[in-house]
Amino acid sequence: MKLYKKEGNTVQVLGFPTEEIEKGEYLLVEDPKRCRSLVLQVIDIQFANIPGILEELLRNSTDDRNIYGENFDPIEVAPHITYIQDARMLVCKIRGTLQNGEPSLSSAWLPSRSQSHIRKLSTTSLLANAKVNSSRPINLGEARDSSSITIDAHLLDGKLNIVTGKKETGKSHISKLLVLSLIDYGAPVVVLDLNGEYTNLGLSRTGEKTEYYKKVCILCPGENFKVTLAQTNLRVVLNILFHALDLPGTSAREFRRIWKSLKEQDALTMRRLGESIRNRQCNLHVRDALNSRYYSLVNSGFFTDNQEEAISLKESFKALQDGGALIINLRNTSTIDRQIVVEFILSKLIELLTQWRLRAVFLFAEEAHLYLRETYWDDIVTRMRHFGVFTTFVTNQPSTIRENIYRQADNIFLFNFTNEHDLEAVSRAARVDAETVKSIAHDLHPHHCLVLGRVVRDYPVVVKVRALDVQTMGQTRLFFTDQN
Amino acid sequence: MIGQLPFTATPRYNFPTEYQNLQLPHNFIELSLRSMRKLDGECLVPAAISLSDSVESHPSLYAPSPSNYESQSLRSIPLKPSQQPATIIAIDVSNIKLGETDSGLLIAIRAAVVWMRNRQYRYLRLGPFPFHITEQNKQKICHLFRAHNFQTSPNSQITPKLTDTHNRISNLLECWLQMNISTRSQDSIVLWDGSLTAGTPDNPMQFLSKLLETARNRLNRILAFAKTTTLRIGNQVLTDLTTETPSPCLIQVKSIPLNPSTPLRFLGNIYVTRFARSNCSFRLDIDKNLPIEEGIAAVEQLLGNDMLYQGYPETLRLAHIYSTFTASEVIGIQRFIAQTHGLRIIMRPNLRRLLFGPFGKGVDA
Ligand SMILES: Nc1ncnc2c1ncn2[C@@H]1O[C@H](COP(=O)(O)OP(=O)(O)O)[C@@H](O)[C@H]1O
Ligand SMILES: [Mg+2]
Repeated sequence: MKLYKKEGNTVQVLGFPTEEIEKGEYLLVEDPKRCRSLVLQVIDIQFANIPGILEELLRNSTDDRNIYGENFDPIEVAPHITYIQDARMLVCKIRGTLQNGEPSLSSAWLPSRSQSHIRKLSTTSLLANAKVNSSRPINLGEARDSSSITIDAHLLDGKLNIVTGKKETGKSHISKLLVLSLIDYGAPVVVLDLNGEYTNLGLSRTGEKTEYYKKVCILCPGENFKVTLAQTNLRVVLNILFHALDLPGTSAREFRRIWKSLKEQDALTMRRLGESIRNRQCNLHVRDALNSRYYSLVNSGFFTDNQEEAISLKESFKALQDGGALIINLRNTSTIDRQIVVEFILSKLIELLTQWRLRAVFLFAEEAHLYLRETYWDDIVTRMRHFGVFTTFVTNQPSTIRENIYRQADNIFLFNFTNEHDLEAVSRAARVDAETVKSIAHDLHPHHCLVLGRVVRDYPVVVKVRALDVQTMGQTRLFFTDQN
Repeated sequence: MIGQLPFTATPRYNFPTEYQNLQLPHNFIELSLRSMRKLDGECLVPAAISLSDSVESHPSLYAPSPSNYESQSLRSIPLKPSQQPATIIAIDVSNIKLGETDSGLLIAIRAAVVWMRNRQYRYLRLGPFPFHITEQNKQKICHLFRAHNFQTSPNSQITPKLTDTHNRISNLLECWLQMNISTRSQDSIVLWDGSLTAGTPDNPMQFLSKLLETARNRLNRILAFAKTTTLRIGNQVLTDLTTETPSPCLIQVKSIPLNPSTPLRFLGNIYVTRFARSNCSFRLDIDKNLPIEEGIAAVEQLLGNDMLYQGYPETLRLAHIYSTFTASEVIGIQRFIAQTHGLRIIMRPNLRRLLFGPFGKGVDA
């Protein structure tokens, strides 16, 4: 390989056919005179602009006729000609400098074009150089060169992560991998499971219970997940009424009065709430508005007056203390009910965290735009993060995540995208240049992911995510079930 | 006399059986290799790649200017393409200058033979063969070649200038191929690139007439097409001649008076082709000793069998295409020599030009 050209942060390297290189791989440009090396990442592979190549192609494509031919080449010059004709231009981004084994992000120097030696840099040695090693390793899978890629659980701690990519590329899979790894290290995890995909997290592929079985708790709203009004804070109920059920302000004021009087009587039940609204002497519109919201709450099936039926989230979270996951299965829940449930969960979470009953929680939210209200997004990356909610957004619609969230994201696990619009949205991530994102993500195979951010010390790395011994189910409902 | 090569040649099952073991004289490859043996450590200043470099060193360029001309000496011959199946074989050889070394000139030669039968084309490429021509070895190269091809005494010829040697070598290779094809094939139409003018250092009378005779004896008909010609009739270039006869047709040039002092001889009847309605014309030479009708019939068979592109036979066009060098091939060959023979390629700035600008006079031209 030879250095060819540098423009800004982009370096072009001339590669030859004998050197197997794929997008995403790293190169080390060693300048023997200066004792330092430039770390490059290949982000695109193009045909080198060889003189005469067009002629060559034209010559060899004589119409559509098939011309058989042979070459008598006793001196064996032909391989040298193909070597030239198959030369490739590796478009690379400068990722930093290595000096005496010490990495730095500086790239304010230029290695010698004639003296430099360029070789492949394995992901393992790249990450080793970058000091990505830890007491709490998470094995993500392997790099192109089959070396295993391990990230540090510490670098997920307190962080905001995004997992994104097309459908069926393996987003939920890597999320499960992260969830299980976090459980291994004793962390509490909450999963907002839109499609009920995480419900078998405690079962192996063959359906047997695994070591995680006891650590995974599945909550299905309206079924095994019901709460009493008494457990619920007025603020939470008001949030539900405002945000999920669009209750106007005047009616909310009336509701607050009702709530307070019930609370004073120690009679916070759904039945009494319904009665109070019906018997309330107030503006007819207000009463109607309250009544319809009341029935929405009733219909959600999430609230119960039966103490036996209700669960205590406080207890559920307690069970997570030494590592465990609470899976909120939102699969059979309507849009409005989803919002009610999520509103409840998040406020309960904050409550427990502020009371220091929980140290911190890793929250995984699949397709959050379908249930997370507008104002929560900023809240999640600022206030809630401060309280100890460390969120991972998982989505196949990157444009539903706002730009400022991308900017604040510490880690991005990026799977394949082919749609320009989607790529555009992701490429706003501040952690890496748009060109890298677009070029590499466009060609990622399923189950391969471009990891960006702190977990890889800002060296973007392509990982083939390892398989998990977890039963998968429930992603797609099919009509033809007899065949796969 | 054809020495077998020590090199393994894959059997060419796709080729007509008579050519399956068509191989080059051992000497040729040996010469190529030997000429490069002394290259170790030498520097090569690559030639500016101009692709027309590889074009035409054909005898037609040497042709003389006739002094007078009468219009009666032209005859138009209308042609009727004949579908009668024929094998068409075309031969072409190209050479290119790779650059200058400390001691000489580095060139490469490649030959191509294309067969057409039942509208199916097949090609065989021979080469590329790099040669390092120096003042020391140019004589040897030419002698060996001549000895091989002409079986005449090596001393009978003057050696060419260094800069002509590469044209000479490629001419010799071409002659060798032409001879080989003439002997191996039967009842075929053989297309050459060039003319049937003899008497140049490259094309001695004796050899060319022997070649034509061999071909005739085996019922082959040789049609030599020249893309360019310096032949003129009066003050008109031959290929600019016009006719009322609708295409396809030939214009026979019955006589071109030759300057008595010239050693040149036309061994063919000279025609101008008008195969397509477009005004692409070529000079066509057909063996004089072949009955005229037979020659015309061969052209009609060519028209009925081969395709034409801009009035030029496709088989010959392919032979040309397969033998010429592209820029990337030139770089590949330079790389080959650098890697296998220790040649160092340098981009020597032209000092004279740097100092004096493009007006510097003298040896550097
Ligand atoms: N690294 C992997 N190894 C093996 N199977 C995988 C891997 N990643 C994903 N899969 C499988 O591919 C399918 C789609 O993955 P999933 O994570 O559901 O995609 P997404 O969430 O992006 O739509 C699932 O059946 C999953 O089990
Ligand atoms: Mg999914």
